[in-house]
Amino acid sequence: MRKKLILFWAFLKRQYVYFRRYLFNSLGGMLTLYVVFLLILGGYKGLVAPAGTEGDTLEALVVGYVLWFFLMTSYQDVYNTVRNESLTGTLEQLYMSTHGFGWVMGANVAAAFLANLVMVALLLTAALWTSGAVVNIDVGGLLPVLVGTLFGPVAIGFAAAGLALVFKRIDSYTQMVQFVLIALVAVPAEKAFWLRLLPGSFGASLVRDIMIRGQSLLEIGLAKLVLLFLIGIGHLALGYGVYKVCEKRAMVWGMLGHY
Amino acid sequence: MVRVESLEKTYPGRRGAPPVKAVDRVSFQVPQGQLVGLLGPNGAGKTTIVKMMCGLIRPDAGQIFINGKDMVCRRTEALVDVSAVLEGNRNIYWRLTCRENLEFFAALKGRSPREIQPEIARYLDLFKLNDKADTEARKLSRGMQQKLATAVALIAQSRVVLLDEPTLGLDVQASLEIRELLKRIVQDEGRTVILTSHDMNVVQDTCERVIIINEGRIVADDSIDHLLDLFQVKVCRIVIGESLTPAQQQAIQALPQVLLEEENNGKIALTVPLEDAQVLHELFGILAANSTVICAIEQKQTSFERVFLEILGRSEHGA
Ligand SMILES: Nc1ncnc2c1ncn2[C@@H]1O[C@H](COP(=O)(O)OP(=O)(O)OP(=O)(O)O)[C@@H](O)[C@H]1O
Ligand SMILES: [Mg+2]
Repeated sequence: MRKKLILFWAFLKRQYVYFRRYLFNSLGGMLTLYVVFLLILGGYKGLVAPAGTEGDTLEALVVGYVLWFFLMTSYQDVYNTVRNESLTGTLEQLYMSTHGFGWVMGANVAAAFLANLVMVALLLTAALWTSGAVVNIDVGGLLPVLVGTLFGPVAIGFAAAGLALVFKRIDSYTQMVQFVLIALVAVPAEKAFWLRLLPGSFGASLVRDIMIRGQSLLEIGLAKLVLLFLIGIGHLALGYGVYKVCEKRAMVWGMLGHY
Repeated sequence: MVRVESLEKTYPGRRGAPPVKAVDRVSFQVPQGQLVGLLGPNGAGKTTIVKMMCGLIRPDAGQIFINGKDMVCRRTEALVDVSAVLEGNRNIYWRLTCRENLEFFAALKGRSPREIQPEIARYLDLFKLNDKADTEARKLSRGMQQKLATAVALIAQSRVVLLDEPTLGLDVQASLEIRELLKRIVQDEGRTVILTSHDMNVVQDTCERVIIINEGRIVADDSIDHLLDLFQVKVCRIVIGESLTPAQQQAIQALPQVLLEEENNGKIALTVPLEDAQVLHELFGILAANSTVICAIEQKQTSFERVFLEILGRSEHGA
């Protein structure tokens, strides 16, 4: 456990170092997010459409955007790490970790999520403060649902990363994943049970329950939350399974590096 | 201690290319504290062997034991005792500083940043990277990056260190520095170091033992001194200061073992194998007949380069 913590801290520190070192660029990203929040709080709806949140309360709009933001970044954290580090030559070093590659990626994703969470919280607070808007968001209820929803995009990230290991130049295809993610959150998962099995869909529908129908975590109930996590773990197993198959191919073909 | 047994690897042909047999029944053992060189021409299979030993390429057959732990079946356990530099300066994060790189990679091997601070200081000192400790790796010279990558491999304190082409692309000075460091690491810390190179000088200078690979097979596994002895064709060069008479020339040409060369400065050099005393006696007889002046007699050393080429040549002719 202590060792896993060391690993998590190492990735968190790397996030922080990159943030500080490329402060100008980081601030640019933060400014964009801040402006987006301001626009949403000012009632601009154009940006939120992709998130598929049909309600139009301010809360729903904000949460819709935040959800989409985390879906995208979680997917990218997995896919980009594998793809970029395979190109730069450090992926093989990650593979030589004594923790095992699965844990290395887990620590990487968790660290990136935490860093993003802190950033979103800070910027949203700042945007609320400057715009004078008041929103009533049940953070305690949303956070577990958000985490449960992110298993989906992480799983897709693993599958895409595996394919990138084996087939190398597939960026033009993986760019489509973001549209797929948009479609997945928009799926009306409450309409049929099998729709809940799609990655990200059930979580997004629970978010809508909280934001639009004003349900609390208690009203949603433990059963649904457990189901959300079970589905998420299922997705993760599937996505990571695809990754493992590709990884084995890559190890047979000697392609973990850039060959 | 490293044990490699009957390792085999054929890369499956991709996109219509035929399969490539890269490693063919390779076996060797390296005891703790030895510095071994894997030497071979381009495409011999050195990198493939090293990457299989790191668990990055899956062998078709054979076994790899690192301190008794099986690299194929129990990878993460075996990895505790191995670290490697595979792609030289590409194995580090260019946007992190020396210190940050060392800390990050130590964490990957399960060591907390706090407990390794003394070691970081020691390696920065040893590798003369002290004043670059807080400089981003991308701003270092190629040689410094290579040194950092090597330090990163050492910081994990794994008993076995694998280095693929540790001096590739370095200038003479930087290459010498790395070689000295490697010798020190083996001497002072008793680690096992296996390096690959196609540079004879690097291997001759650093390694007590050399394993020569050609076309995926081991064609020699011995100490450098022994190989030199084995292939030492002892020859001597006799330099004479005046021209030979036609009769002398004719007589010398009748001796096939003697090589007659005219040098730039007008002198004549005769090269004779020492083991053939009869020929030597005859040659001196011919020279004595005209009281020819002998300027110098020198014994010539066979270079390791010649030995290497000789071994490769024999292996290719199936001898
Ligand atoms: N991933 C791969 N897929 C297919 N063939 C490969 C792969 N990697 C290496 N090879 C082939 O296998 C053989 C051995 O390659 P390897 O890289 O192990 O040689 P090497 O001794 O390291 O050569 P060099 O001195 O050039 O680095 C070569 O014929 C090479 O073309
Ligand atoms: Mg090589």
